[in-house]
Amino acid sequence: MSSDPILEIKGLNKSFGPVHVLHDVDFTVRAGEVTALVGDNGAGKSTLVKCIAGIYGHDSGTVTFQGNEVHIRGPKDAAQLGIEVVYQDLALADNLDIVQNMFLGRERGSRWMLDEAAMEKAARETLASLSVRTVKSVRTPVASLSGGQRQTVAIAKAVLWNSKVVLLDEPTAALGVAQTRQVLDLVRRLAEQGLGVVLISHNMADVFEVADRIATLYLGRMVAQVPTKEVTNTQVVELITAGRSGELGLARPDTVTI
Amino acid sequence: MRRLHIDGPCTRAALTTELGLNRSTIKALVDGLAEAGVVEERVPLQRSGAGRPSLLVLPQPHAAVVLAIDIRVEGVAIALVGLGGQILGRNSWNLYGRASQPDEVVAHIVDSTRWLVGELSVETAAVGVSVPGVVRRSDGLVHEAPNLHWTDVPLGEWLSTGLGMPVRLGNDAELGALAEHVRGAARGASDAVYVSADFGVGGGVISEGSPMRGTSGYFGEIGHMVVKPGGRPCYCGSHGCWETEIGEAAMCRALDLPEGSPRGAIVAALKELSAHSALAREQLAELVDWLALGLVNVVNMLGPELVVLGDLFTSLPAALIADVGREVRTRSLVSRAVGGTRIVPSVLGGDAKLIGAAELAFEPVLGTM
Repeated sequence: MSSDPILEIKGLNKSFGPVHVLHDVDFTVRAGEVTALVGDNGAGKSTLVKCIAGIYGHDSGTVTFQGNEVHIRGPKDAAQLGIEVVYQDLALADNLDIVQNMFLGRERGSRWMLDEAAMEKAARETLASLSVRTVKSVRTPVASLSGGQRQTVAIAKAVLWNSKVVLLDEPTAALGVAQTRQVLDLVRRLAEQGLGVVLISHNMADVFEVADRIATLYLGRMVAQVPTKEVTNTQVVELITAGRSGELGLARPDTVTI
Repeated sequence: MRRLHIDGPCTRAALTTELGLNRSTIKALVDGLAEAGVVEERVPLQRSGAGRPSLLVLPQPHAAVVLAIDIRVEGVAIALVGLGGQILGRNSWNLYGRASQPDEVVAHIVDSTRWLVGELSVETAAVGVSVPGVVRRSDGLVHEAPNLHWTDVPLGEWLSTGLGMPVRLGNDAELGALAEHVRGAARGASDAVYVSADFGVGGGVISEGSPMRGTSGYFGEIGHMVVKPGGRPCYCGSHGCWETEIGEAAMCRALDLPEGSPRGAIVAALKELSAHSALAREQLAELVDWLALGLVNVVNMLGPELVVLGDLFTSLPAALIADVGREVRTRSLVSRAVGGTRIVPSVLGGDAKLIGAAELAFEPVLGTM
């Protein structure tokens, strides 16, 4: 039971008109692990994440969540299952403060009156549970936060909503070195709390420092999903650029039909 | 100073009563500290009683910052911690293969410290390090860290050269105990034991308010207390150590996970079990038995007011921790005598060792302020 993946995707296909973006992709996410999703530009990483999040429908394939087959038809379905996505362009509203952002669209209280005190308390407790003490007040408008702090708020939102799987689409793409490190530290601690985490990243050093497992997409195909400790940096780079590395990845070219 | 660092902001009036000093003495002291930028005074928001409100004295986190380093078997975490125990910035990374060589670890620590310090533009005063192994306190020699395969590593010397600051090292469990005593579940207790399951099992002891350190600081290997004659072989060279029955590997066995699963996977499995206490009792029965047995020995030997369970143990279902508490109470003579030793999970979670390392670094710093 417990060693089964929390989210399992089998034989996923997705086309945009004549362009076949994802070919029979198998992908698993395990609770308590950071799975890095890597691949070259256009390999289909973001498309895969958007299919999981319900933003795109898929043409064929099955999605199993906690052992049951599910049909995710929209972002609402995904959120209901406990799948939260953090995008690189930070889906936060600049003019609202941290509490308002964390509860955006899911405010607490009656129809006429929001329960501000309860929301503020929950937001503060969530940030504390992640030992995020870099934010001075939860009533700070998001516009005045640094990039790293904004990502922190976006990630904390996933924890607040009791998500089971968090997908992060290049959360550190727009950040400097030190802030990147702080966000990745948070990503690790998220997994240590038992969540299934998927991290899309281009930076191999980052991937090796936080990921437990590395999944590589190559031209829309999942070529390998391996534990980090069993591969080297070079092997992963080969998988990304050529689709295979030694025994790993695609079969020799002569047996592949394109 | 220590009072503010540990217990946080309080009013001038409270300081006067607690420290038993004259009101004007406190004023002079606080004024001096405020001038140096170490504390800040504010009018309290809530008033109690009549008269002019006593000013609130708040420690300023940026006034003194230390670097805390927690070296674990599967990764390293570092944090910059300000006066009052606030974590200002942090970083962590995995250790695989080459990356767990001592020289690589030190180089990585020095690099990422530079980034963090640059980002936060603070000055650090001292360094505290938690190491999963036996450490000589005087010069920071890591005598043996078996799970990391380190032997006789002069870690303290390397780090203080690399970082240009005084470095103090401690055993991870000893620092966990320190953290729980200063900021966690054992706050205010004068005798407490901290037992944690990280990769291995370790323990720290607070005795009459101060940490027990053993000869040269070689202390904390509570996990290698032999509990099962003819039991599983342990890497320490012995057989049937407590660690082999309740450590991470034992948890993986109980939960049907492959040995060496990531920590999060174990936490996730334990959390799932928390919802079904009957199933949890059945699956973890053996582990809980061994935990209780060891704790009976520990309590009988050391007579603590409470035992704090740290790291992986904090994810054990609450019902099981209560079971263990009851079991220890029935079986331990000492526990009965002190009216029931409390067995509680840590409130600091995975950060206990980091916080402990920060406190270790703060000790000499506070004295000079």
